[in-house]
Amino acid sequence: MASLLEIQALKKYFTKSNGFIKKVEQHVKAVDNVSFSIEHGETLGLVGESGCGKSTTGRTIIKLYQPTSGRIIFDGVDITNFSEKEMLPYRKKMQMIFQDPYASLNSRMTIADIIGEAIDVHKVTTSKSERDDMIADLLTRVGLMKDHASRYPHEFSGGQRQRIGIARALAVNPEFIICDEPISALDVSIQAQVVNMLEEIQRNTGMGYLFIAHDLSMVKHISKRIGVMYLGQLVEIGDRDKVYSNPAHPYTKALLSAIPIPDPLSEKAKNRIILQGDVPSPINPPSGCHFRTRCKYSTKECAKCDPVLKTIENNHQVACHLFKQ
Amino acid sequence: MWEPVNKDLLGSAQETKKSLTYWQDVWRRLRQNIMAMIGLIMIATVIFLAIFGPMLSGFSYSEQNTALANIAPNIQITNISGEDYVLVHNDYKLIEATKDGELIGALEILEDNKTEKYILYLINGKEVKFDYSLAQKNKVKGSNSMENTDMKTKYDIYVDGQLIDKYDVKNVWNKTYILGTDNLGRDVWTRVLYGARISLTVGLIASVVNLFIGVLYGGISGYEGGRVDNIMMRIVDIINSVPLLLIVILLMVVISPGLQTIILTIGLVYWVGMARLVRGQVLSLKEQEFVLAARALGVSKAKIIVRHLIPNAIGPIVVSMMMSIPSAIFTEAFLSFIGLGVSAPEASWGTLANDALGGIRSYPYQLIVPSVAIAFTMFGFNFLGDGLRDALDPRLRK
Repeated sequence: MASLLEIQALKKYFTKSNGFIKKVEQHVKAVDNVSFSIEHGETLGLVGESGCGKSTTGRTIIKLYQPTSGRIIFDGVDITNFSEKEMLPYRKKMQMIFQDPYASLNSRMTIADIIGEAIDVHKVTTSKSERDDMIADLLTRVGLMKDHASRYPHEFSGGQRQRIGIARALAVNPEFIICDEPISALDVSIQAQVVNMLEEIQRNTGMGYLFIAHDLSMVKHISKRIGVMYLGQLVEIGDRDKVYSNPAHPYTKALLSAIPIPDPLSEKAKNRIILQGDVPSPINPPSGCHFRTRCKYSTKECAKCDPVLKTIENNHQVACHLFKQ
Repeated sequence: MWEPVNKDLLGSAQETKKSLTYWQDVWRRLRQNIMAMIGLIMIATVIFLAIFGPMLSGFSYSEQNTALANIAPNIQITNISGEDYVLVHNDYKLIEATKDGELIGALEILEDNKTEKYILYLINGKEVKFDYSLAQKNKVKGSNSMENTDMKTKYDIYVDGQLIDKYDVKNVWNKTYILGTDNLGRDVWTRVLYGARISLTVGLIASVVNLFIGVLYGGISGYEGGRVDNIMMRIVDIINSVPLLLIVILLMVVISPGLQTIILTIGLVYWVGMARLVRGQVLSLKEQEFVLAARALGVSKAKIIVRHLIPNAIGPIVVSMMMSIPSAIFTEAFLSFIGLGVSAPEASWGTLANDALGGIRSYPYQLIVPSVAIAFTMFGFNFLGDGLRDALDPRLRK
């Protein structure tokens, strides 16, 4: 059986033109040659620091951005160059949950209208009463009351709004949901509720998640596999336990060492890897390995050729010249 | 001590309050704003008078009575004898009036002697001689006689040969024409009310054009972005750079002057500001996540613009629309004032002001009335516009 979603060498460059008389075109390489796949019912966590291209990857997969190159294969169908019209049936199969629960709901629409819009576009229901029942059912599924349907977003808390966002995504019964940092704007206690709810929905429906986050411990909790991104590139991908217990890429090691341990003694004893320097500009990334400017193991080879993902053990790949196949 | 509540019992206990819709909330906040409510009442008054006023005034806007031309709202009447009063008109004639200030009409003239400068009238069997030869005499004697506008020094009245006290006058309000008459004896009140119709029509059309063309144009331009946006905005720049007056004069060549020319001109030009405003709003709104969510759901472009983007920009749109109405009314008044507007006998506030300009020294009320009408309406719309801007801003939500 084919993978639910397969991304092959996906690139998304944003063009920025400068200069008035002499046009200079610059490319921001937000996503640069990223490949991975997600199976049915699986959660892939995507982590990385701010600006590394995680969200752009998610938005490009759902075609909010047209990819510069590469292929997006959903359920065995290449949807990369689909028009808006051709995409419509796939919009029903693929949905997205957004980061900011305050910005992701239209403040001028009632909750019923927000969720109902999804139902209307894809004609999920046929009658008005069926539509109302479905909205009520969706609200109960995400832990809200059906009376809430007539309210406006500003009457809800952040956690409740995020639940509404999830209900909107669930309204079309998708097979795959991109969760673009769905919990980073929420309180820790609410984060746990939302994550547990997402897990429960996955258990019940068997849908796949692409879980984008920068909270490493939360990603560890929810994901089956984890991908680590740095400056638009996927540097390491593998099963959760392998990546966490045995990180291969120097960047992953540094990233994981930043997870705080809830015990002052072991926290003190922890060997924290502190990276030197800043993240280079994605307009002019370093040649070869993008991480070499901040990597203490960098060699001449790192500057010369681009590292490719190499399998170092079963279900664990890393893009680093330190590892030979 | 503590135990979980039975969820079924809870269901009836938890009642949710029916929430206010957006517009109910706006109306609640607008009501608290005294200035806005005053503005609203002012506009309602103007609209009411424009619709029903001309029907109730008893005169038509084009009805002339040259015998009763240029009569002020506040008149001085001279007692002839008993219950007989006359109004001494600045045009050297007498008009019969009642003691309450009702004008009866022109008097029967027995003799009009232009060389000796007197007029003989017959009032209730009495012979009244209106001698205005003094005007000439005083003019020769006076030092700055050209500036002499005091009518009192220019005439004497004799009743049956007997000189009467011309200073025995009474100030009364004109009961027949409450705001006086113009130089053709038309009722100024009726004409101002009729002018309100034209001015409000122009304002209304400007706002509707603003709303439809401006909002859609700006919405499409902002949402599409890139090259489409560039081309659409350069068109706007071109329209904006041609002076309004030039467009009107050029249109006059093609179609006849009048209301439709003004409406067409305002329609051609006025949506530009709104288009820019909406484009700016849409540009900032379209990157918001709720728009991305709608796109991810596959909502069509038109629906995103109409259902998501425009409702979220409604605050600035309504305010700009409110502000464009007085500006359109003012443009119409200005164009009419310089003679490019509606043609006689139709009246707009601008033409009324223009017609009054000739007699500004003798009959200033003819200019004051339309000016006050313009100012009153401007204040009304501006107060309401300001109030709406505050009421529509969700950040001020309490």
